[in-house]
Amino acid sequence: MDFSTVELTADQQAFQREVRAFLDEIVTEEVHEHERRTGDGFDEGVHLALGGRGWLFPGWPVEDGGADLDRVCQRILALELAHREVPGVTQGTTRLVWSGLQLSADPELAAELKPEVAAGRVRFCLGYSDPEGGSDIAGATLRAVRDGDEWVLNGSKLWTTGAHNCQYTFLITRTDPEAPKHKGLTMFLVPLDSPGVEIQAIRTYGGERTNAVYYTDVHVADRYRVGDVNAGWATLQGPLSNEHGGGRIADGLEDLAGGFTYTQAFDRAIDAAARWAKRTTRPDGTLVADDPVFLDRLGALVVSTEASRVTHGPMGRNKASLSYIAGIAELIDMVGPEALLAHGSDGAIEDGVLEFAHRWAQGTATYGGTTEVFKGMIAQHVLGLPRLNLPGSKQWVR
Amino acid sequence: MTDRFELRRQDFRLDEDQQAVREGFGDFFTKQVPSSLVRDAEPLGFDADLWQRVVAMGATAMALPEAVGGDDATLVDLVLVAEELGKVVAPVPLVSHVVASRLLARAGGADELVAAAAAGERVVTLALQPVGGTNRQLVPDAAVARDVVAWSAEGLTLHTLAEPAAHVPNQGSTPLAWFDPAAGERTVLVSGPDAEQRFRSAVAEWKLLTAAALVGIADSALHLGVEFAKTRRTLGVAIGALQGVAFPLADVVTEISGARNLVHKAAWYATHEPQTRPDLPLAALVQAAHAATEAAWVSAHTQGGLGFTVEADISLFFLRAKGWSVLGGDPGSDRRQIAAALLRTF
Ligand SMILES: Cc1cc2nc3c(=O)[nH]c(=O)nc-3n(C[C@H](O)[C@H](O)[C@H](O)COP(=O)(O)OP(=O)(O)OC[C@H]3O[C@@H](n4cnc5c(N)ncnc54)[C@H](O)[C@@H]3O)c2cc1C
Repeated sequence: MDFSTVELTADQQAFQREVRAFLDEIVTEEVHEHERRTGDGFDEGVHLALGGRGWLFPGWPVEDGGADLDRVCQRILALELAHREVPGVTQGTTRLVWSGLQLSADPELAAELKPEVAAGRVRFCLGYSDPEGGSDIAGATLRAVRDGDEWVLNGSKLWTTGAHNCQYTFLITRTDPEAPKHKGLTMFLVPLDSPGVEIQAIRTYGGERTNAVYYTDVHVADRYRVGDVNAGWATLQGPLSNEHGGGRIADGLEDLAGGFTYTQAFDRAIDAAARWAKRTTRPDGTLVADDPVFLDRLGALVVSTEASRVTHGPMGRNKASLSYIAGIAELIDMVGPEALLAHGSDGAIEDGVLEFAHRWAQGTATYGGTTEVFKGMIAQHVLGLPRLNLPGSKQWVR
Repeated sequence: MTDRFELRRQDFRLDEDQQAVREGFGDFFTKQVPSSLVRDAEPLGFDADLWQRVVAMGATAMALPEAVGGDDATLVDLVLVAEELGKVVAPVPLVSHVVASRLLARAGGADELVAAAAAGERVVTLALQPVGGTNRQLVPDAAVARDVVAWSAEGLTLHTLAEPAAHVPNQGSTPLAWFDPAAGERTVLVSGPDAEQRFRSAVAEWKLLTAAALVGIADSALHLGVEFAKTRRTLGVAIGALQGVAFPLADVVTEISGARNLVHKAAWYATHEPQTRPDLPLAALVQAAHAATEAAWVSAHTQGGLGFTVEADISLFFLRAKGWSVLGGDPGSDRRQIAAALLRTF
C-alpha cells in the first residue's frame, strides 16, 4: 500500500516543466472556447501538437512515434492533461481502437497506420451502437455482404462520436444473419471518406456532439476487415474490456476507478461551490460557509467523491457516474438559481462550471455502456450471480 | 485535502506481511466465532473466553509501541484485523480497547495499567464525546471496562472505577454503558491543547477501526444475500438472475469496494502522514456505515420473509450494522468536519 508523493528525478522534474510549458502554449482559451462551441471532445491543433511530441502514445518507442516515457512521466503527462481539461474523447477512442487493431488487424495495414496514428493524423471512432439499441452490441444489424475482394455495407449507426474528425470507424457488422447471434458478426475499419458514408450531427444537452452515420452501398476492401469473418465478437472483446476498465497496470500510477474523469468533473463543481460559499453571504449577513446545514450537505458530497475515487474498476465507473448525477442535483439546490447561470451570464459562478456539470453529468451513465449494463456485469462477474436467459441472449432477434 | 492533481501513488495492494495479518486473523475469527457464539454472547456482546483467545493471538499487544512490549503495528495492520472481526461480528471490545490502550501508552498511563491492557487483563475504553459539566454519556464497551479515558476542559483523564458500569441493553448487542464523569478515581494524564489533540486523534482512530469493522459486516451481509439469491428460485429461475434482485446487490458490492479502499487509504495516511488528510477517517466511517447499513438491509430483503427472522444469520448483521455505526455519534458532525476541511483549502 502506498499513497506517497512520487519523488521525481531531475529528469522527471525537467519533463514536468517541459509538459507544463508546452501545454501552456497549446491549450489556449481558444481551445476551451472551441470545445464549448462544438462539443467535439477534440481539438485538431492540440491533437497534432501532442502527436508531434510522441505524447498521444507516450509509452511507445520513439521509432514508433511515441516518446518512450517511463511510467512516472506518463503519469505526469496524464495529470497535466486532466488538470487542463484538454478535450480527449477522440484521443480515447483512437487509443481503444488501436488496442483492437494491434491484436487483430492485417499486420501490413497496422504497420501502415501506426506512424500516422501516433502523429495524430489518423484517428478512430467507435461504430458499435445501433439505432435500434446500443446496449445489446451483439445485436448489431448493419449488414456487410461479401463481393469478391470487397465488402458492401448497408445500414446505420448512431452515436459514432467524433466521426466527423476521424479517418476511420471501427465498425461492427452482421455478416451472417443465419448464424447464432454472436457468431454472425465481423469487425471492419471503415475509411470514413468512402462513397456512401454520410455523417449527421446529433447534439446532447450535455453540450456534446455525436453523430448518426449512414452507410449506403459502401464498398470496403477486404484488407480493412479486422479479425476473422464471423469472429467479430471475439475481435471486439479486447478493446471492449479496455473500455470497461480492464487491462490496468497495478503499479499505483493509474487511476483505480473506472469513472475517475467523472469524479474529477464533479470535484471541479464541488470546489467552485466551496469557493462560492466562502465569499457569499445570506440575506441575513451570515456567510454560507458558516451554515452548518450547508456544511453537512457538502460533506456528504465530498464523501461520495472520496469513495468514487477509490472504488475498483467497472464498479468505480458506476459509483462515480451515479454519485455525480445525484450529487450535482443536490449541489445545485445548495447554491440556488445562481448555480444554473450559464457561461457568459452576469453572475455565472466560475464561468458556469456548475451549470455545465449538471448537464454534462447525465451522459456519463449512458455512454461506454449504461450503468444498468455495468450492474449486470458486476452481478455476474463480481458476485457470480446467474445470468438471465432472455430470448435474445443467444439468438439474433430483430 | 491536497492538490487534486498531485502526483501520488494510488497503490492499494497489500504487502506479504499485511496479507499474512489479514489471512491469519481471518482464519482465526472464522474458526473461533460461529454465529452460535455471537448469539450466546447476547445481550451483553462480550465473550470472555473468546477475549482470552483474541489476546493470545496478540491482537491487544500488537497495537502498542515496542517500548511497552508491543509490536508497533500500524493502523494499516489494525484495520485489516478489524475488518476480519467485523466479518463475524465477534463479541469482543477490541476496537475500543486497542484505541484506548494506544492512547494510554502514549499519554503516560501507568506502566502496570498499560501492561495489563496489553495482556488483555484489564479492558480499557474511550469516551467518544467531550465531557462537559456533569452530563453522562453512553460509552462503547464501558460495560466490560473499569478504565475509561475521557477528555474535558481539565484535560485527558483516566477514570478508574471499582467495577465496570451497568450494561444498558441495546439493539447492536454491544457492551454499552452510561459513563458518569464524576464516578471513579480520576487521574489527569495530559492537559492543555495537547490533550485535546490526542483525544481527537484517538476518536479518529476509533472511527477508522469501526469503519473497518463495518466493512467486514457489510461483506458478510452481502455474502449471505448473494448465496441465497443463487439458490432460491421463482418462476423457474434463480432469483439472482432477476435484475430487481441482482442490481441492488451489485450496488452494494460497489459501495463496499469504495468503503474498504477508503478505509485502507485513510489508514495509510493516518500512519504515514497524519497531518495531511485528517478528514479521511471520518469519510471512511460515513462511507462504511452507509455500505454496512445498505448491505444489511438489501441482503435481508433479498431473503424475503426469512431474512426478517431472528433465526436467519442476516439478523445478526442487520442489527449490528446500525448498532455499531451509531456508537460514534451523529455522522452529520463528521460530515461538517469533512466539509470544513475542504473549505480550509481555499
Ligand atoms: C454522448 C454519447 C456518446 C456516445 N458515443 C458512442 C460512440 O462513440 N460509439 C458508440 O458505438 N456508441 C456511443 N454511444 C452510445 C452508447 O454506448 C449507447 O447510448 C448505450 O450503449 C445505450 O444504448 P442505447 O442508447 O441504444 O439505449 P438502449 O440500449 O436501448 O437502452 C435503453 C435503456 O434500457 C436499459 N437497458 C438496455 N439493455 C438492458 C439490459 N440488458 N438490462 C437492463 N437494462 C437495459 C439501458 O440501461 C437504458 O436505460 C454514445 C452515447 C452518447 C449518449
